[in-house]
Amino acid sequence: MTQVTSNALSESDTSSRWPLSLLLCAALKWLVLAGVLSVISTIQLHTPSFLADCSWLTHGRTQALQETIFIYGWAANVGFAVALWLLGRLGGAPLRGLGLLTAGTVFWNLGVAFGLVCIAMGEATGVPFLQMPAYVHPLLLVAYAAIATPGILAWTGRRQRATFATQWYAVAALFLFPWLYSAAQVMLLGAPVRGIGQAVVAVWFGQNLLSLWLIPIALAAAYYLVPKLTGRTIANYDFAPHGFWALLFFGAWTGTRQLVGGPVPAWIPTMGIVATLIVLFHYVIVALNLRGVLCGDKRDIALRFVSFGLVAYLIGGIFDAIFAFQTFAEVVQFTYFPMAQLKLALVGAYSFLILGAVYYLAPRITGLAWPSSGLIRMHFRLMVLGTLVTVVSLGMAGWTQGHALLDAKLSFAAIAASTRPWLLAATAGEAILLLGSLVLTVHFFLLQAAAGCSTFGSTAPAMEASAS
Amino acid sequence: MKNGLLLFVGIFASLALSWGGLALGSNAQLGGLAPYYDQLENRAFPERAPGIASRGKLVYQDLGCAACHTQEVRRPGYGSDTERKWGDRQSYARDYIHQERVLLGLSRVGPDLTNVGARLKSADDVYKLLYHGTATMPSFTFLFEERPAHAQPSPKAVAMNGDREIVPTPRAEVLAAYLLSLSAPADYPAEKAVNAIAPAKKEGEHK
Amino acid sequence: MSDHPSPKPGSSSSLSDGELLHAHEQAVADKTDDRGSYKLLPLVLLFTFSGLIFFGGTYLNLFSGHFDPRIFDERALPHTVDTSVKMDPVVYGKKLYESLCINCHQPTGLGVPGTFPPLAGSEWINGSEERIVRILENGLKGPITVKGMNFGTVPMPAVGAGGANWSDDKIAAVLTYVRQAFGNTSGPVTEEKVVEIHAKIGAHAEWSPEELLKLP
Ligand code: HEC
Repeated sequence: MTQVTSNALSESDTSSRWPLSLLLCAALKWLVLAGVLSVISTIQLHTPSFLADCSWLTHGRTQALQETIFIYGWAANVGFAVALWLLGRLGGAPLRGLGLLTAGTVFWNLGVAFGLVCIAMGEATGVPFLQMPAYVHPLLLVAYAAIATPGILAWTGRRQRATFATQWYAVAALFLFPWLYSAAQVMLLGAPVRGIGQAVVAVWFGQNLLSLWLIPIALAAAYYLVPKLTGRTIANYDFAPHGFWALLFFGAWTGTRQLVGGPVPAWIPTMGIVATLIVLFHYVIVALNLRGVLCGDKRDIALRFVSFGLVAYLIGGIFDAIFAFQTFAEVVQFTYFPMAQLKLALVGAYSFLILGAVYYLAPRITGLAWPSSGLIRMHFRLMVLGTLVTVVSLGMAGWTQGHALLDAKLSFAAIAASTRPWLLAATAGEAILLLGSLVLTVHFFLLQAAAGCSTFGSTAPAMEASAS
Repeated sequence: MKNGLLLFVGIFASLALSWGGLALGSNAQLGGLAPYYDQLENRAFPERAPGIASRGKLVYQDLGCAACHTQEVRRPGYGSDTERKWGDRQSYARDYIHQERVLLGLSRVGPDLTNVGARLKSADDVYKLLYHGTATMPSFTFLFEERPAHAQPSPKAVAMNGDREIVPTPRAEVLAAYLLSLSAPADYPAEKAVNAIAPAKKEGEHK
Repeated sequence: MSDHPSPKPGSSSSLSDGELLHAHEQAVADKTDDRGSYKLLPLVLLFTFSGLIFFGGTYLNLFSGHFDPRIFDERALPHTVDTSVKMDPVVYGKKLYESLCINCHQPTGLGVPGTFPPLAGSEWINGSEERIVRILENGLKGPITVKGMNFGTVPMPAVGAGGANWSDDKIAAVLTYVRQAFGNTSGPVTEEKVVEIHAKIGAHAEWSPEELLKLP
């Protein structure tokens, strides 16, 4: 068992500073843009005439744009940064292949930008979570290969044979994404499967993008941060592998629950419902493992983000399982409710967990403490408030809408009137989230500016980068 | 877990299993579905959409209409789809075999469009709807253009602006053709035979 | 786990990455030195997992439609499935009549005096199946008397293999239709019967009325 010296660690942190900062900068830029578009597209839900005359921003496109930017812009970039940093830390050596990483980052983001322009101009594919046109995706896949290389090298070249839960989740995410992404590209865009099979592949892809790519990265971060922040090992750690495999083997089947009542043979949605139920086992183990964070020191900001993210993740899992059942799905299918569930998963769980990691790692790669604790607190509060308001009001809007839809006598105008107050609230929630993202972005650039100054010999207050 | 190879194989297998089961499995079952040949009508159903309609579908796709409109009817008794007159029967896999891209849709901010062609009377209806929008649907004025009106205004004109008339662009025309082409065939005997029997049994009420 | 040094949160001596890996490996390796409450947990988890699997399995069994690609309504029962869809021969036969026979025998089934014999009330149509099936399969040529009127100026074309190439089920359907339309009240002609007669005659040119009249 080689004990890694803190020197080696600090080296691993600072050498990867620029490439990781680049990923984070790109991620934050997209986060703000996604926020703006989410606000627009939510306004359009209660006021359809809003920006309707601009073909670039017709609701169908803003909806596709905000979803694509959030996933491929924000979630992907920040996920890459965190996953690579974690694998580097646990590999015990500085990240290798950083040139590739930088090139990959540039091309990934150029590709995403190009894809977004295509969507705005009317090239969207219409497939949820795969809206960018067919010719953009191969570019992203190649860029991805370059980005993932340092992570794979850190994993295969790790100093210790023993592995930790963080590594399983991070490696799973890195391996599964290209597998999933290329399968979907071929079966939906390249050589599309015939007829309704497309709908099956589309939900399989969309769900797994979340369950097998983004969520594993967030959990990798959580499994790392919880012992770090609480100073204790993970509780009941020997069950962690069960939780991991339960997510992979059952989580991969959960997507088709969305097709309940649809034009596919009954077994397909039923499989999804059953899998959504069984995957609860994974949530039980995650709760068991990470519960320590809930009683940790609340003054630590990373810990507060992780706590909120964990709770959101668990609640999201339970809600998914309950609303998968036909009796409830009959009401909430095709309403705003699934949007609320997605928001809870993407913002409440994923963004919170990953932001915990960002708050933890940014000082370690720049060697500087965050400039303002006030801004951090403000960001946290805005995020919590924005998430709660958006998720609750979208959920209520969906619930109202679902019941109204069941009553065939109610017109769509009447339904719109009854959901309007909730949608106004959701718009406010989205605006608060956007404000939060702006605060974070400004703060991050302040940190980078300070770090830039200190690199060039200024006397910015240096933090002990090797503190842990 | 010290065995990196085992971890890798497990990770790979987890997705491969679900891919095989759901993506390949459903394709094996449904990929070869043939149209139903109706001997009485001497036609095969579903019928292929005419070329102009498939161009219209691209407009439907690129404007993201599927964000607010679905194209699947749920069975009688499950949701209010049939009561809302969106169709007489539920949609079956066979309905989609000719579609190059299946757009089931994300939400029902607006009505289901599976059979909208049967509800709309004419292309004029579509133009008016697209140009003016409704309280719940945005207008799509960018699908229309203004041009000087001749002595005899175009029959397609949706509005007048002084001596200029507002007419649909080709994109609006193909979109209207697509919407008017949307209508599901009556029923398929094979599916009907199996699924039409709807015992009044709901989930949770078994045993 | 309590034997592991666990520095207080926020203290400068929190877990290093090396310690993190080491401590957790330890946690998996020695499960024995933990207290009794700990041993209950695996059982509880096993129970939870089996419970979920059991519930899921039952649900799958009830609502999977037996993995049948034709079952969309998960409550449909597979043993009620009968996909050998038969069309009503009268409806089908009418369709077929209107597609061909109508040209000569007229919509009324009364034919054209002197040229096309009537089917309404015809002793041929309402008589032996052996004859009319043969007429349709191979055609009819030669002078014939129907309802006391004479015909034979033009032949009746074959509808079966030698002519319009109709299958036996179509011939059965159109005859069934004609035998109950235009005031006729004779029983249906089954597809089996047509197949049987078809097999007996093999290849044959148009029949002449004399040949047919010899048949039962
Ligand atoms: C081209 C015109 C023509 C068509 C088409 C035609 N027939 Fe005839 N059919 C005749 C003629 C002519 C005769 C009398 C032949 C003869 O006298 O040799 C006849 C005789 C018959 C007879 C025996 C005499 C009688 O009136 O009962 C039957 C039965 C008959 N046709 C049934 C049919 C049926 C059923 C069809 C449609 C599948 C059909 N025919 C189509 C011209 C036609």
